[in-house]
Amino acid sequence: MKKTGLVANYMIALLVILAVNFILPRLMPGNPLQAIYGDEALLAMTPQLQEELVRRFALDRPLAEQLVSYLGTLCRGDLGYSYFYNAPVAGVILDFLPWTLLLTGLALLLSTLFGLFLGIESGYRRGRMLDKVLLGGNMLLGGLPDFFVGILLLLFFGVFLSLAPLAGAMEPYAGHSGLALALDVLRHLALPLAALVIARMTGAYLLTRNTMVATLGSAYILTARAKGCTDSSIRYRHAGRNSLLPAVTATGVQFANLVTGALFIEIVFSYPGMGSLLYKSLLTRDYPLLEGILLLVALSVLLVNFLVDLLYAKLDPRVNYAR
Amino acid sequence: MLQVKDLKVSYDGLPVINRVSFELRKGDVLGVIGESGAGKTTLGLSILGLVEGRCSGAVILNERNILTCPEEERRRMRGKEAAMVFQNVEDALNPLYTVASQIVESLEIHGVRERAAARSRALELLATVGLEQRQARSYPHHLSGGEKQRALIALALANDPDILIFDEPTAALDALTKAHIISLLKKITLDKISLVITHDIATAARLTNKMAVLYGGRIVEAGVTGEVLANPRHPYTRALLRSYPGMDTTKDLQGIPGRLSHESAGCAFHPRCTQKAALCGSEVPPLVNAGGRQVACHRGGIVPLLEIKKLSKSFGGHNVLQDIGLTLWEGETLALVGESGSGKTTLAKTVMGLIKADGGQILLDCGGEKAKNVRSHERVQMVFQNPGESINHRMNVLQAVKEPLDINRRGTEEEKLAQVKAVLNDAELPSDDLFLRKYPHQLSGGEVQRVAIARALVLNPKVLIADEPTSALDPSVQAKILKLLLNLQEKKGLAILLITHDLALARKVSDRLAVMQQGRIVEEGPCAQVLRNPRSEYTRSLLAATPGQAEAAAEQLKKSPYGAGWEALPWV
Repeated sequence: MKKTGLVANYMIALLVILAVNFILPRLMPGNPLQAIYGDEALLAMTPQLQEELVRRFALDRPLAEQLVSYLGTLCRGDLGYSYFYNAPVAGVILDFLPWTLLLTGLALLLSTLFGLFLGIESGYRRGRMLDKVLLGGNMLLGGLPDFFVGILLLLFFGVFLSLAPLAGAMEPYAGHSGLALALDVLRHLALPLAALVIARMTGAYLLTRNTMVATLGSAYILTARAKGCTDSSIRYRHAGRNSLLPAVTATGVQFANLVTGALFIEIVFSYPGMGSLLYKSLLTRDYPLLEGILLLVALSVLLVNFLVDLLYAKLDPRVNYAR
Repeated sequence: MLQVKDLKVSYDGLPVINRVSFELRKGDVLGVIGESGAGKTTLGLSILGLVEGRCSGAVILNERNILTCPEEERRRMRGKEAAMVFQNVEDALNPLYTVASQIVESLEIHGVRERAAARSRALELLATVGLEQRQARSYPHHLSGGEKQRALIALALANDPDILIFDEPTAALDALTKAHIISLLKKITLDKISLVITHDIATAARLTNKMAVLYGGRIVEAGVTGEVLANPRHPYTRALLRSYPGMDTTKDLQGIPGRLSHESAGCAFHPRCTQKAALCGSEVPPLVNAGGRQVACHRGGIVPLLEIKKLSKSFGGHNVLQDIGLTLWEGETLALVGESGSGKTTLAKTVMGLIKADGGQILLDCGGEKAKNVRSHERVQMVFQNPGESINHRMNVLQAVKEPLDINRRGTEEEKLAQVKAVLNDAELPSDDLFLRKYPHQLSGGEVQRVAIARALVLNPKVLIADEPTSALDPSVQAKILKLLLNLQEKKGLAILLITHDLALARKVSDRLAVMQQGRIVEEGPCAQVLRNPRSEYTRSLLAATPGQAEAAAEQLKKSPYGAGWEALPWV
């Protein structure tokens, strides 16, 4: 009952996203042909060709019919045709997607985990040296834009120390396989990942630390101490777990933020992910591709938030109760 | 056995617990009472070694000092040898784990290896405190306040500790739940050493057999619960009891003037104490044994201001006063009731020295030194029955109130005037020139009586004898006058001997009641006790004759004078 309500909410959000995605290009100035082929090509076209194109793109049909067929093709996984890559959008995206999934997924996971861990340790030692160092350091790093962190890392580790490759996701034409391939991928991943994690960690860290400080003042912490719990048990099992919720919420909310962060980072490191793809599609005005990417990003943000909602109930029994 | 020796705890240099010592044995249930900020909870926490501040002294449990032993050993002691149930029921259980699993955790910390064994033990424990399986498997937010309190108690009992500390175990519970929890705790504490930290005196009365009253981090009074409550010896204890709305206190609630302060030198209570002497502000009184009671007071507890011993008086062979013995303590109201002609007014006049006694003694405590048969009008003053007559109608307000000062040659004219104005203020009268020049016949009855009270108070007496002070006044004025007297009592520790035949009035304003019949005191005791459970036939008939009682109550009173039931608290 409660879960179906949750799912229904997300279905509504999904429909809104699809509708916006459908309407947005139609709201753009000029007609679709103009958008696709540009002014010059359109002027050079014969009216017959234009009519032919309008019919082929089904632009003469009523809007509702267009929507239905749009949804239909979406269901078949057809996101349109990229004329820059001269290939179906879905296929193009699938080529780039794994790298972004790898990068953002790991960045999300690691920044949350590190943020939680450091936040718990720091909050537990509130006011002591380690807490002050962590707090100061995190505030400083969190204040820097992620691409700037990326550039610093690239310059320092890549250019001066030559410890990491400067671009790409793997050594091209190296023919690595197995473990060597994995190591190669990791070597390329290390710097962009580090940049994202460093820039993103502060949010989770600060939130966890503050919640931790408040949680430690709760009576149940005293109860836990009075029953003889060890320090680490109090830190993680009692206070830590109670401090998770805000950080997890923030992770869901921040995911969209992370995706835009990844876009910049991918460009800085020439990492062949969705960010680079989006950037390229913007430069080339590859609208179908652009729309496909935006749709995918919107859907993934939706999905992550849905997962966070499901995770809540696992983390805090009161969430089910409150609904 | 639990020994606390010379325990001192301070937070940021501010002492919260100061030289507290006590010893508890198996079966002892110590009630720690006192107002917020007295250090009650800190005391409980320091026994578990959980205090954040600096501690010194010793808490000796199973032959080792908790305050100095290593943290790891203390951790293993917590929950195993001593357990505490904390104050905030709503928040004291971790919201993320089921009740049973929180108990399982405690069992596992202290050595139960198998999860299944721990689980069944947890369910067993929860059953003993009256929680079913369904509740055991619930999360705290599914339980009511009472159920949470039970769960917390089960948690404390998990490893069968020797020492149990309950911090406000019944606060925030409704009356029925409270009663259930109290009876549960009574069962549990039988073979343990327990501390019950509470400001709920009724709970302490039901649950504990020893009592320590904490003020400003020090024990100011300690003793057997029933005795401490029935007969408080420290002024603070009495003030605390007076501000507590017990079901069988009949006197109006009285507060304690001032605020709790940790920084004052000397006795922590002296800024608020109405019987303080010079020594109180400079030296901390030690807790000394005095007849089965420990009291920390330089003046040895509440002082008797007026002691009447074997007083007798006869007029022409007719004994008006026979063998009267009465004590009036500092800051209390003693109501002297009885029918007309029982000798009440004669007694009052004898005490005032207006009539010379045939035999016996009247002792007056003047500033700590006992003087024999001193007719000190500076210490004892009287308010008479009929204010219209007790004030000379040829004197205006200023002259009437100033006269005692003139007679005793106190200060210059300016000082006298200032004092008169101050005392008129105390009596809630205007002190402008217009009022000062008024004559009694220009004032209302209530105003005249206030002027009489102001005149009585102008010498700053400690004892006020009020002979039917309000019988000539209508109820609304009477209420105001009596409130005024009680306020003065609260502020200045005025001891009032109230002579009245109105029992209903006596029960609202007096701490103790003495019943007089034909020149003898036939019954004396705490007001509520005398009224509920009168021992003498005369008192019973006086009570039954008092109008305004429900018929049934009067009937019942007649039938079973001793049938007040076990739940009646032994204190007033």
